[in-house]
Amino acid sequence: MMDMEKNNVLQIKELKAGYEIKSGFVGAVDDVSFSLKKGEFLGIAGESGCGKSTLAYAIMNLLRDNGCIQSGTVQLNDVNIASLSEVEMKKIRWVDLSMVFQSAMNALNPVLKIGEQLTDAIFAHQDLSRTKAQARAKEVLELVDISSERYDAYPHQLSGGMKQRVMIAMALILQPDLVIMDEPTTALDVVVQRTIIEKIQELQRQFDFSVIFITHDLSLLVEISDKLAIMYAGKIIEFGNAHDVFTDPLHPYTEGLMASFPALTGPIKRMGGIEGKPPDLLNPPEGCRFAPRCQKAMDICRREYPKEYVKNDGHKVSCQLYREKMGENHE
Amino acid sequence: MLGDIFKLFFENKKAAIGFFILLFFVGIAILAPVLAPYDPKANKIETVEILDTDRGRRKTVEREKINDFEETRIYTQEETTTYKQYTKKFPLNSAPSQAHYFGTTHSGQDIFSQVIWGTRISLTVGIGTGLFTTFIALTLALVAGYFGGLVDDIISLFTNVFLVIPGLPLMIVIAAYITVKGVMPIVLILALTSWPWPTRLLRSQVVSLKNRDFVKVSRSLGERPLYIIFNEMLPNMISLVMASFFQMTMAAIIGEATLEFLGLGNVSIVSWGTILYWAQNNGALLSGAWWWFLPPGIAIALIGTSFAMMNFAIDEISNPKLRKR
Amino acid sequence: MKYFARKVGLLLFALFVAITINFFLPRMMPGDPASDLVDKMQGVPPEALESIKAAFGVNTEDSLIIQYGKYLLNLVKGDFGVSISRFPTPVSDVLRVAIPWSLGLMGLATIISFIIGTVIGIACAWNRNKPLATFTVGFFIFIRSFPYFWLGLLFIYLLAFKIQIFPIGGSYTPGIDRTGWGFVLSILKHGFLPATTIIISSMGAWILTMRNNMINVLAEDYITVALAKGLPMKRIKGLYAAKNALLPSITGFAMSLGFVVGGGLLTEMVFGYPGVGLMLFQAVQAKDYPLMQAIFLFISTAVLIANFIADVFILILDPRVRDGGK
Repeated sequence: MMDMEKNNVLQIKELKAGYEIKSGFVGAVDDVSFSLKKGEFLGIAGESGCGKSTLAYAIMNLLRDNGCIQSGTVQLNDVNIASLSEVEMKKIRWVDLSMVFQSAMNALNPVLKIGEQLTDAIFAHQDLSRTKAQARAKEVLELVDISSERYDAYPHQLSGGMKQRVMIAMALILQPDLVIMDEPTTALDVVVQRTIIEKIQELQRQFDFSVIFITHDLSLLVEISDKLAIMYAGKIIEFGNAHDVFTDPLHPYTEGLMASFPALTGPIKRMGGIEGKPPDLLNPPEGCRFAPRCQKAMDICRREYPKEYVKNDGHKVSCQLYREKMGENHE
Repeated sequence: MLGDIFKLFFENKKAAIGFFILLFFVGIAILAPVLAPYDPKANKIETVEILDTDRGRRKTVEREKINDFEETRIYTQEETTTYKQYTKKFPLNSAPSQAHYFGTTHSGQDIFSQVIWGTRISLTVGIGTGLFTTFIALTLALVAGYFGGLVDDIISLFTNVFLVIPGLPLMIVIAAYITVKGVMPIVLILALTSWPWPTRLLRSQVVSLKNRDFVKVSRSLGERPLYIIFNEMLPNMISLVMASFFQMTMAAIIGEATLEFLGLGNVSIVSWGTILYWAQNNGALLSGAWWWFLPPGIAIALIGTSFAMMNFAIDEISNPKLRKR
Repeated sequence: MKYFARKVGLLLFALFVAITINFFLPRMMPGDPASDLVDKMQGVPPEALESIKAAFGVNTEDSLIIQYGKYLLNLVKGDFGVSISRFPTPVSDVLRVAIPWSLGLMGLATIISFIIGTVIGIACAWNRNKPLATFTVGFFIFIRSFPYFWLGLLFIYLLAFKIQIFPIGGSYTPGIDRTGWGFVLSILKHGFLPATTIIISSMGAWILTMRNNMINVLAEDYITVALAKGLPMKRIKGLYAAKNALLPSITGFAMSLGFVVGGGLLTEMVFGYPGVGLMLFQAVQAKDYPLMQAIFLFISTAVLIANFIADVFILILDPRVRDGGK
């Protein structure tokens, strides 16, 4: 367990980040901690507004205007990037870690050719000749199954799926150690979604980079994640190996999420949903934030925020249901 | 929805300042008779006082003797009244002074009073035209946007065409042909040359609203078009309609001043534009009479700024990206 | 291509409407200016009278259609009739002299104003929280509220009357030798104030438009991506932000050309600059209808063509439009 620290690509400790507004601070990311090994695939699932995108931006240190990181550390290969200045951060961003943005509809500059949008990332960090940069750009295009002839195409000439693949190519062009993907498939139809996900898997195996895949659709993460984190109202409420979380969901919220999508095989179950809405992050409630919607809520849930309980093999959960079991395994 | 917008509006600093300025001028317009020290067209003060009647009552008698016993007398009586007339002529072309805050014109009229009285015409024409034009634009936009099809094509075509035909030359030419001078023709001419702008703007909003889900739902439920327009669409268009109104009023105020300045309006009325007309025609500039053309210009600019600020505020309200953090 | 064809169609139709308005205007006005004028002009030579009558359609022997036909034919021939106030000069000659002055003054001033305004607008958006930006925006909102002609008057007063740096009016020093640098210099001196008036009054619109467009563009996702990629600020400001913000600005510019030209006309009137604007003003005062109509037609045509050129510009700049988009 100790030497795992060494091949951690990413280690996040007690990260707090959010947005300053007139009436106070919206804590979209509240005390988040986890780590990621080289080549690992971490899926982060949660509803809209749970803070997933803020987390992604915070890791990249891209929060601007009224968004900021309040406290905590983000260790990328032993460097705390949360504390870096913008100048220093610019050298690292895209080289060591990159991001695939949500909604590729607007993520590409409409008046520039996509080839240029790929090469300018190279030119910003490396001193390559024009021809070499172009060659590299065409290379990554081929990697995502886009003909290199499309180098001169404009974004509006590509389909939604193609645009998203361009974004993936763009993220990989400098061979980063970590790629964060913020809802990369949300705006696409199911069939295209599948191809994109398979492509991501394939590329990951080929180049051995770590992935953080953020989505609200848990079903996507089923086969591809190594680790899984469930996020709710700014906090990670369950974390563990994907297989463990799926077969043995500990938190009532996770159970609810699992019940919301049907399994392809197996008996036909009744589908459930989770009633209610997530809390206001400007003034979050005391105690467990899921309590208002939880079927199994107890008195203590509303009073005290649950401490983390670790089941075997790194499967963690923050839920009062496991208070008594705390004696068995401590964090 | 309406309440929210008004609340946001007045909380916005720019809107508040703009509105205050507007209120200030409206106040001046309403209180003109009280505020203006002199009649705007007068170039002297004349008071007449009756000093004495009776002063020279004259009586004359004509006697005619008919005979020793008969006599006729004809009496004539006149009465005179004595008046004291006090005339104070205003100085001609004089710089601002205690008696005349903004100085006097070429023929001695008090400019301060003129500017105050001029507020009435300038504001009424401006706001009236603004309302009228916005109303036309809104109606056309709703008809074109909501009903679509051929009606939309025709209206859009004409809107686009009139949008590019230059407004000022058209205004000038029309005004030159009209022999009936007055305020109404000005309002009509201004409306006729400025309706395309808000029409185009409002129409695209109508079209995008029409395709929004909540309107689609109403339509599929079979609601009558008038109901949908008034209850579903219009409330969502308030901010854009208000913005259009402010812009149209601003344009109208400047347009009216321009037409008057060119002598195309009715030069015998008192408005800020006519003051400038007379100033220009009497060589105010070249005789150094800066006080003649400065106040009206600044008045126009202040009102214009007030509408521009309110317009800016509306922009910020409807497009949150423009707001300051 | 479809875009191009549509724009050409619009241009032609708009021209047609302008021409037709021009034709019907004198025939529609209340108060019968035609007979009014004819009555007043008792001692005018018969050819001038004919000119007026033709312009007004007082000559009612031909039907309306035939009158319209004759009118169109004359237009094509370049025959706009004879000027009443400058009798017997044909209108086309009057125009020919005035046009270069207007094109020079307004053309240059408008372009300079657009360029400076756009650059300042970009700066105001990029540095939006700095006090200078806020002040600039506020300042131009205020300046914009002054009537065009008034600013011209102010400049004349300050810089031509009080401090006599610039001449009061006209386009060049009368009597000067037309060849040689002295002439060019005097043109520049005379044109400076009117040009500055136009530039300062219209700059505000471009500043505000560009600023708003930039702010909208800066909130787009592709800007965040550009920042994430670590691109140099110059590239982001230019190729990513400004290039996208410029497109709606140019559209706005095209649409407000009519308004800008109007302002230019007023400036000419105030400065006595012998361009088309001054001609129009004098024509109006002298009730020289043939000249007025011709000027209106000329101005409309010029604006329509300029509009069309701006549309072509967009075609070149925006790849989406090229592929038959909006």
